[in-house]
Amino acid sequence: MGRELTIVDVGLGNLASAERALHQVGAAVTITSDPDIIATSRMLVFPGQGAFGAMTDDIVNGAIGAAVKMVIERGDPFLGICLGMQLLFEGSAESDGRVGLGILPGRCQRFPLNMTEPGSDRPLKVPHMGWNDVSPGGDHYYFVHSYYVPAEDCPDLMWSTTYGDVSLAAAVRRDNIYGCQFHPEKSQNAGLKFLRGFILGGRGS
Amino acid sequence: MLKRRIIPCLDVHNGRVVKGVHFKGLRDAGDPIEAARAYDKQGADEICLLDITATTEGRETFVDVVRRVAPQLFVPMTVGGGIRRASDVRRLLNAGADKVALNSAAVTNPNLIRSLADNYGSQCIVIAVDVRRIDPRPHDRHPMFEVVINGGKRGTGIDALWWCERVAALGAGELLLTSMDKDGTKEGYDLWITREIARRVPIPIIASGGVGELEHLRQGLASDAGAADAALAASIFHFGLYTIGQAKQYLQNHGIPVRILDSNKAGG
Repeated sequence: MGRELTIVDVGLGNLASAERALHQVGAAVTITSDPDIIATSRMLVFPGQGAFGAMTDDIVNGAIGAAVKMVIERGDPFLGICLGMQLLFEGSAESDGRVGLGILPGRCQRFPLNMTEPGSDRPLKVPHMGWNDVSPGGDHYYFVHSYYVPAEDCPDLMWSTTYGDVSLAAAVRRDNIYGCQFHPEKSQNAGLKFLRGFILGGRGS
Repeated sequence: MLKRRIIPCLDVHNGRVVKGVHFKGLRDAGDPIEAARAYDKQGADEICLLDITATTEGRETFVDVVRRVAPQLFVPMTVGGGIRRASDVRRLLNAGADKVALNSAAVTNPNLIRSLADNYGSQCIVIAVDVRRIDPRPHDRHPMFEVVINGGKRGTGIDALWWCERVAALGAGELLLTSMDKDGTKEGYDLWITREIARRVPIPIIASGGVGELEHLRQGLASDAGAADAALAASIFHFGLYTIGQAKQYLQNHGIPVRILDSNKAGG
């Protein structure tokens, strides 16, 4: 029962939370690192952890990367979470010279040093860790990241959030391609709502 | 904007919650799974589970508790207590923890911080720092704090502020700062050291130790007081004195940015 969905496993981190959250919103989940299974999936989720550089070596240049691109180009729904979203873009300041999938225009930047909360001298920490509200909508999601996609450089912006005076892409969407910088699997009901939207939203226009 | 986090902490001994949990609606107050689930429902921003068992069998039981609590939560879970080596970290992350908190092992082997951060990412490596006030030397111009280990039993003579800066430089993602002087007193956090570390160390700080009323949470988080990024507390939530929702409403009313659930707004 449920919509069949594949989670890409690149061997970094625990996928149990993502699996459980997707199951909760009605998906029948398969977790795999097999490029053949990935390539034939009709709905794909790519949770990301670790460093951009290590990931692009495995993903962009490897069989998994080719399989992911195949799914996206075919128009089947794809969701990249956290680093999985960042990989959709052209590159990142985290690993200069390495390229992302380059499916969406834009580059990841690092939060500037010595940021302070607007209107005060309270220092802001990196990583951006904790619950932040997105615009439009105002729901709170759980973020943990040190690199971000600037909202103003992102034509496929769905939701933005702010940290200090930085406005960053919290979620992006172009047709069948979805990405979120936050962790929906750690974001209680708001996160489940977002995942449900992805599963029902499908291939888009 | 980013909200300050409220983190209830459960002390687990041989698989059971100690310092009893006494709020309404729990069938088994000693069951860490029920307690964690209840805090998630109340709107906790994260949950912390600390293993206070000293035996090897107890440690195994704790991993099993983590494995059973994880599926109940849709918020991050930090676990700590008795983590000595990389294999302990791996086991707890595999059991479903989102972050692990190291304490004594980080002091005796600081390189462990770097290797864990490289392997698992800084975001899941929390360093728990237990501190206590020491007598200032004649040339010291401000209060002095040393790091203590082994559950507060052993002083190390290491300057707390220096250690926290070092821990951040080694790649830790977050600091859990506990004042051993205040822990259990219900007098509130040690605001001087909390603020000093929060302002000097570039990673998020969780204040811990001493909360007895909601005002203490406010003090720990307020920019002109403790300036911490998150506040951890145990007994005020366990005994049903306050729900997480009530704590957050209090904080919001006093100008601290927090995440309020819709169900909290309805008075839950």
